[in-house]
Amino acid sequence: MKETAASPTQEVCSVRVGDTLYGVPIVHVLEILGKPATQPVPLAPYFVGGLVHYRGEVLTAVSLRRLLGMDPAPAPEDVLVFESSDGLFGLFVDSVGEVLHVAAADHEPNPATLENRRQALFDGAWKLRDRLLVSLEPERLEPMHLAGAFPA
Amino acid sequence: MDDLTREFLLESQEGLDRMERCLTDLETRPGDAELLADIFRSVHTIKGTTGFLGFSRLEALSHAGENLLGLLREGELAATPEIVSGLLSLMDRLRGILRSIESTGAEGESQQQDGAMIARLDALQHGEAVALAEPVLTAVAEEVVHAIPQKRRSGRKRAGPRNPQGAPPPPRGEEAGPPRIPEEAAPNPAPEAEPGPAPGFSNAARPGSVPAPPSSPEAPPASGNSAADSTLRVDAELLNRMMNLVGELVLTRNQILQATSSDAGFALLSRRLDMVTADLRESVMKARMQPVSHVFSRFPRLVRDLALGLDKRVRLEMEGQETELDKSLLEAIRDPLTHSIRNAIDHGIERPEARVAAGKPAEGLVRLRACHEGSHVIVEVHDDGAGISIDRVREKAVERQLVTAQRAEQMNEREILQLIFLPGFSTAAAVTSVSGRGVGMDVVRTNVEKIGGKVEVESRAGEGTILRLRIPLTLAIIPALIVHSRGQNFAVPQASLMELVHMSAGEEDPRIEWLENAALYRLRGHLLPLVFLNRLLQQPARERTDACDIAILNADGRRFGLIVDGLADPEEIVVKPLAAVLREIGYYAGATILGNGEMALILNPGAIAQNAGVSLTTETEESLGQENRAGHEDFLLVETDGRPAALPLETVVRIERIPRSRIEQAGSRPVLRFDGMLLPLDDAAASLAGADPEAQTTVVVCRDGQRHVGMTVSQVLDVTGGRQLEEAGTGALANGITLLHDRVTGVVSLSAIPSLDSVSEREYSLPGEETR
Repeated sequence: MKETAASPTQEVCSVRVGDTLYGVPIVHVLEILGKPATQPVPLAPYFVGGLVHYRGEVLTAVSLRRLLGMDPAPAPEDVLVFESSDGLFGLFVDSVGEVLHVAAADHEPNPATLENRRQALFDGAWKLRDRLLVSLEPERLEPMHLAGAFPA
Repeated sequence: MDDLTREFLLESQEGLDRMERCLTDLETRPGDAELLADIFRSVHTIKGTTGFLGFSRLEALSHAGENLLGLLREGELAATPEIVSGLLSLMDRLRGILRSIESTGAEGESQQQDGAMIARLDALQHGEAVALAEPVLTAVAEEVVHAIPQKRRSGRKRAGPRNPQGAPPPPRGEEAGPPRIPEEAAPNPAPEAEPGPAPGFSNAARPGSVPAPPSSPEAPPASGNSAADSTLRVDAELLNRMMNLVGELVLTRNQILQATSSDAGFALLSRRLDMVTADLRESVMKARMQPVSHVFSRFPRLVRDLALGLDKRVRLEMEGQETELDKSLLEAIRDPLTHSIRNAIDHGIERPEARVAAGKPAEGLVRLRACHEGSHVIVEVHDDGAGISIDRVREKAVERQLVTAQRAEQMNEREILQLIFLPGFSTAAAVTSVSGRGVGMDVVRTNVEKIGGKVEVESRAGEGTILRLRIPLTLAIIPALIVHSRGQNFAVPQASLMELVHMSAGEEDPRIEWLENAALYRLRGHLLPLVFLNRLLQQPARERTDACDIAILNADGRRFGLIVDGLADPEEIVVKPLAAVLREIGYYAGATILGNGEMALILNPGAIAQNAGVSLTTETEESLGQENRAGHEDFLLVETDGRPAALPLETVVRIERIPRSRIEQAGSRPVLRFDGMLLPLDDAAASLAGADPEAQTTVVVCRDGQRHVGMTVSQVLDVTGGRQLEEAGTGALANGITLLHDRVTGVVSLSAIPSLDSVSEREYSLPGEETR
C-alpha cells in the first residue's frame, strides 16, 4: 500500500459475498443485523431477498447474490441497514467482516472489461495489499433505483 | 422564536378557531350574550398579549375588533350579517399575521390594509342604522365598499365572500390551507372548553377532560384555564414514535410470555407486564385520537361563505362531533370532506326559488354526521338538494368519453352513480369558482381509499344525496386473520372476511368444482370463484387432496374464496408500510410483525379479487352478464332428460335439492314455493312423473327479467364459459345456442316458461318475506 499521511483515508465495512470482498463506507451503515429472521416476498422483484425486522419497522432487503445472479446463500445471511430517500432498506450479504481503513489513493475505477451489470453496481475497487476490495455505493443498491436500472 | 411567542401563537390560533365557530353561530342567534362574551374574550386575549410582545399590527386590529365587539356585548349593536362578515375578515387578517409571525418572526408590513380593515370595523360600529335597516344577507361586500370607498384600492383583502380569490396572506374560505402548526392540532381539549357550547354544535368534552361549565358573560376566562392546565401539547411526531415503540414492546412482551411459561414467579411478573403493556398501548392510541369536531368546526364558516357566494340559503347541521378518530386519519379526511360539502352546496342544494317551486323549504339543509360503526367511523354528508340526475350523469360520462354510449345504456343506476368518481367527471353546466372543474369526487375517493376507507353515494332525484365516507378507526392497528400458504404467514384483514370453510385432508371436497383451470365452490347453492393463494403468488404447488381452508372474502362487493393451507389465530396487527417496489406488486397492503416475532405480509383482498377477475356480486348480480360483453358468457351446464342444456349463469339464483313432494300443482302446471314466492316450474328433466314423493329432485331457480322461474334438471354438470356462435355466412349471432366445452349446446329460453297468468307470483308473496 502506498498509503501516506497526505492521502485521505476512509473507513469501510468489509462484507463477503461468495468469494468476493466488498467494502461499504461505514458512514452509510446504520446497523448490522446478524442473521436476522427473514420473510420472503412472493412476486417481488428478483433482487429483493426478503423482509427483515428492524426496530419496529419492516425493511425490504436487497440480496446482492440475486442481484449478481449468484446461487442462493448456503447459510443464513447478515443484513446491513442503509438509509435511502425511500426510507430504510437492507442488504443481504454472506457475512460481515472487519472495518478497514482504505486510502483514496488506492481506489481505482471499474475496469472496462467488467460486465455491464457489475459495471453499474460497483464503484471501482480499492487495492488492498493482497486482494481487491470492491466498492459498493448504497445509493446504487436502493430498491427503487434497482427497479428502474435493472428491471427483471 | 422564543417560547413565549410560540405559546402566544398557539393560544391565539385556538382563540381564533373558537371565535370562528362562535361567529357563525352568532348569525343564527344574534343576541346570544354568551357567544358574544366568548368572542370578545378571544379578541381581548390576543390584544392583551400582543401589546406585551410588541406586535403593533395585531394590537391595532384586535383593538378595533374589540371596540365593535364591546358594543355588541353591551347590546348597543345587533349582530347583523354585515358585522359578522366584518369580524370574520378581521379574523382572517389576524390569522394571516399570526402565520407571518410563525414563518418570519415578524408581522409583515401592510399598514394600509390594516387601516382599511380598522375603518371598516369603525364604520360598522357607527353605521348601525344602515346595517339594521338593511339586513340583507347578500349585500355584504358591497355595503362595506360604499362605506369606505376611498380605501378600496389598497384594501382588497377584506373583500367579502363574493371574492373568494383574495390575495394572500389569509386566503378566504380556506379550509385545506397551508399547514398549520402541527402542535396546534395535538389532542388538547382546551378549545372544547368554551363556555356555553351551542346546541347542535357542542363539542362535547371527551371523556376524561373536564367540560367547562357555562359561565356568565362577565366571568373572566378562568374556566378555560383550568381545562388548559390539565392538558399538555405533544408533538405528533413524538406520538408516532411512541406508537412504534409500544408496538415493539408488545412484541417483546409476547416473546417473554412464550419464553417464561415454566417458572411460576416469572410467569406472574410477565403477566403483569402483559397487562401494563396492553394498557399502555391503549393509552397511546387514545392519545392519538381526536374528536371529529376538530375538522367539523371549520365547516360552518365554509357553508356560510359558499352559500352567500352562490346566492343560496343553506343551514348546516352537525351530529356526532364527539366521535373520535386517529389524528392522521382526521387530517386525511379534511380535504375530501371539504370537497364533498362544496359539491353538496354547489351542485346539490338548489336556489331558494327553485326549492320553493319544488315544494321544499327555501333554506337547504346540509347534514354532517359522524358515528361509529364497528371498527369504522362513518362520516356522512347529506344534502336535501336536487339529487344526482342519473340521466345527466350518463350523458356527461358519454360526452366526456369516460364510457361508451353502448356501455352507458346497459349500466344500472348504482353503476351510473359510481361514474361520478371517475377522474375528469363533472356535471356542472358551468365552471364556477366553487366546483365544476372536473376534479373533486375522484380526489375524494382517492384520498379516502388511500387511508383504507370507502366512499359510497346514494341519491334520489329531487330528494337529495348522501355521500358516505367509511373510515377505519385507526390506521395503525387492524384486526386480521393469520393464514398460512406454503410455510409463509399472510394476514387477511378481518374487515373483508365473511366466513371460513375447512376442507379436510384425504378427499377432494365435492363442493369444490372444477371448470378447466378455474375452481368454484358451491356455497349454499351459490357458485363462488376460488383463488388459490399459492398459485396467485406463484408459490410451490400443493396436492389437491391436502387439507386446506377457504377464507370467504368480500372485497368491495366482490366475493370469492381464498384457498390457503391453514389458519392461525386472529391477531391485532400493526400495519407497517412496504417499500415502493413491493407496494407495486399490488397484492400486499403492508407487512406486520406477529406476536411470535415472525413477519407476515398483509393481503389486499380487493386487489386479489380484481386480478383474479372476480366481478361484483350480490346487489349487482344483474350487471354480471354485461361484464362479459365480448361475446363471452358463463353458463351453468345442466343435464335435462338426458340432454345437456345451458343456463346463463347470471340468471341463476339458486340451486336446490328438494323432495318432489314440495312441488305443487297450480292447475295443470307445476309450481314451487320458494322463499315465499310461487315459482312457475319447467319440468325439463321430466322428473315429476315418478311416483315416489320423497325422491329428491334438483331445481335451478333462475331470474327472468322481473320474475323468478324454476327448472327441474337431472343433474348440474358444470359452470363454463361459452362463446357466442356466429351463423356461417351472415355473421349474425346465433340465438339459443352456445359453444360449451367445444360442443354446441342449447341455451334454455327462460322467457318461454309460461307465467302463472291469472295468479301473479307477487300476490302469493308471503308477508314479511323477501325475494332473495
